[in-house]
Amino acid sequence: MTIDDSSPRKCLGKDCPNDAGSLQCPTCQKMGKESYFCSQDCFKRNWSEHKAVHKSQSNPLRNLFPPKVVSEPDPATGLFNPFPTFPYTGSLRPVYPLSAKRQVPSSIQLPDYAKDGIPHSEQVFMGRNKIKILNKEEQEGMRKVCRLAREVLDIAASEARPGVTTDHIDEVVHKACMERDSYPSPLNYCHFPKSVCTSVNEVICHGIPDKRVLQDGDILNIDVTLYHGGFHGDLNETYYIGDKALADPDSVRVVECARDCLDEAIKIVKPGMLFRDPGNVIEKHAKSQKCGVVRTYCGHGINQLFHCAPNVPHYAKNKTVGEAKPGMCFTIEPMITLGTYRDKTWPDDWTSVTQDGSRTAQFEHTLLVTEDGVEVLTARLADSPGGKVPMPGVNGSGTSAPTTQPRANGAD
Amino acid sequence: MNMEIDEEEAPPLLVTGDAPKLSSTIATELEELNITKVPITIVTGYLGAGKTTLLNYILNERHGKKIAFIAEFGDSADIEKSLTVSKDGQQVEEWLELANGCICCSVKDSGVNAIEALMERRGAFDYILLETTGLADPGNIAPLFWVDQGLGSTIYLDGIVTLVDAKNILRSLDEMPAQPAEPHAEAHEGPELTTAHLQISHADVVVINKSDLVSSVELEAVRERIQSINAIAKIHVTHHSQVPQLEGVLLDLHAYDSVGAAELEFAAKGHSHLDPTISTLSIPVPILSAAQLPALDEWLRSLLWDSALLAPHLAAVCPAPSTSRASFEIHRLKGRIPLSDGSVKLLQGVREVFEMLDEKDASKGEDASKGTGLPRPEGKTVLIGRGLDEEAFRSSLYGTLGVQASA
Repeated sequence: MTIDDSSPRKCLGKDCPNDAGSLQCPTCQKMGKESYFCSQDCFKRNWSEHKAVHKSQSNPLRNLFPPKVVSEPDPATGLFNPFPTFPYTGSLRPVYPLSAKRQVPSSIQLPDYAKDGIPHSEQVFMGRNKIKILNKEEQEGMRKVCRLAREVLDIAASEARPGVTTDHIDEVVHKACMERDSYPSPLNYCHFPKSVCTSVNEVICHGIPDKRVLQDGDILNIDVTLYHGGFHGDLNETYYIGDKALADPDSVRVVECARDCLDEAIKIVKPGMLFRDPGNVIEKHAKSQKCGVVRTYCGHGINQLFHCAPNVPHYAKNKTVGEAKPGMCFTIEPMITLGTYRDKTWPDDWTSVTQDGSRTAQFEHTLLVTEDGVEVLTARLADSPGGKVPMPGVNGSGTSAPTTQPRANGAD
Repeated sequence: MNMEIDEEEAPPLLVTGDAPKLSSTIATELEELNITKVPITIVTGYLGAGKTTLLNYILNERHGKKIAFIAEFGDSADIEKSLTVSKDGQQVEEWLELANGCICCSVKDSGVNAIEALMERRGAFDYILLETTGLADPGNIAPLFWVDQGLGSTIYLDGIVTLVDAKNILRSLDEMPAQPAEPHAEAHEGPELTTAHLQISHADVVVINKSDLVSSVELEAVRERIQSINAIAKIHVTHHSQVPQLEGVLLDLHAYDSVGAAELEFAAKGHSHLDPTISTLSIPVPILSAAQLPALDEWLRSLLWDSALLAPHLAAVCPAPSTSRASFEIHRLKGRIPLSDGSVKLLQGVREVFEMLDEKDASKGEDASKGTGLPRPEGKTVLIGRGLDEEAFRSSLYGTLGVQASA
């Protein structure tokens, strides 16, 4: 935000004649207010009075009786923004109310957190670096759930188009899970309210499906995890919503960069690979495309547990302990940005966005280390929607890119 | 958690409101340069060693520094933690908002996140002190705060300070563990290790407190015993937990980002077995070429991740290395490895986590040979742990590197 002030703003200090520069009160800023002062000294002198402003804003009752802006939904649609004062980093806003919690019939096997939201079995402190090696039966269990997860992602992706809400995608995912006798792993994991993560534009990951309508030009990540037969299978892809997205060079750059980062990282997976190494490959490729790599979230071990050892960071030069051995299962899921790698979380405690509001894309596979390489358990199928697209405007291919679907992430 | 921000304290620092729209990559790089990193020091010691007195002394000393203090940090996931911010004798308590036990594929420890979030709200501290519970194993806590550089954290692990009580420490070290165990038994987490051993072996500084309660002969015995366990730690003798100077003694240790030649030299002064359980082992390493570093990395991975000594010259005849496994464990590792191109690699490790990094400032290397025409001194790696057989470690390392044993 370059500010071209014609009239300089005044320092808020009492009787202070000075103009204020760019220094402002951090507490006010957090609340989405602007309070500029000329200097720290002046701020200090006025602190006792100024802080009263915070009190009135941070009235604890506000949580019980939210200000009017919140409690008055749009009369025509009933929709509202639950955090109107939050300084959003981009143009995306949550569109509430969320739909009612989706039900799971008792015939479906539940993970331990389905009831109380707490993944008790994951909370081990000792042996954090111990990586489980799966036997043949367990590997078969992973193969099964990952194939089912791929089917569900493909069904969801075929529904992703301008005009539908992310809540609709959630409904589709939930139903497809039920049809496959599977539990949608995100549902109630640490109290996540929905059955899938839908992350639009500047959302890095963990977006909550809501009533926002997908626009021509959006990019959408759908992150699906299923729990079936006692195992979790986890994958995600980013999709272009409408022709406008396919015609936007920046969107194509970040999405294809993320896709290629995952593919490049998978190439090095085999027994003996060090879990600190995929990050080097990913960061190198992202840099070559002038893109950033999100540091806060990493790939993870996955088996009977949704998240476990090892951590697989996506950034270079990490100290991660451990090496790949046959029978280990884990994900790689690079999150790539057009701008800063730094993230910020919305007050819903889930939605992670880029701090500069720039677009971001992600791809993920669940991988099994084999005797001599890797099996991509969540590999694309011949008819999977999505897939690699060319950069618009290059080689005269223009915006109406041929929609052949090369098997970009295939393990074949 | 709706803890109100306490507004009674001093005003926070003003922030620059206009995010300048630089080209994003430049902005990112600038961002990294601008991060002020606050050191965190882990303070351990038995109940009664004088931890609380020491911490009160630090917090009440009129040093004009803003020090945050976290009490009773254990090696299990805590739900609620408070933090005390102290400046010039005035103290304010804050709640650390730890994420609700959910680690959902996040790299950073929730404690690190909570401290960062608090500093974002309240402005940075000058120092953070983290007091462990009397029985905590600092080797489990240190890796949590030894955050990857790439994560751009606003805190960094400065070092571990261990307080011991001059009068009781020898008895604590000789305490028999709950169940009797042979010193070299096939035990993984050693019950035969006392907490006192763990607290000393991981220390970067050991403060021998209550020195006024023992004779000079007894004090010397304590000092020798501690040095035999951990020859790299700096030792300070005090009484009533009073330390004349904080910076460089208890604070600003930089124990995890620099490795001085002198401290390793000191550690090399003989491999003592005064303590039957833990010892310090120093292995000289000749000047290596860059091409030998992968082999060194492999040796370290095997040593620290698998608790196994690589034995390339024995590989054919020794198919089952499992017998040599778990007969040793490494708590702390440091090293300086001069390379033939003139640069120096530094080694840092705590338990299974280790890092090989470039020495940033060559002048810090105390490389006395510079300009003297004398040959550069060779490198060294120093290990602290249990069951360190000098000959086995040395020949394994030299065999892996393909160098001649010089000693």
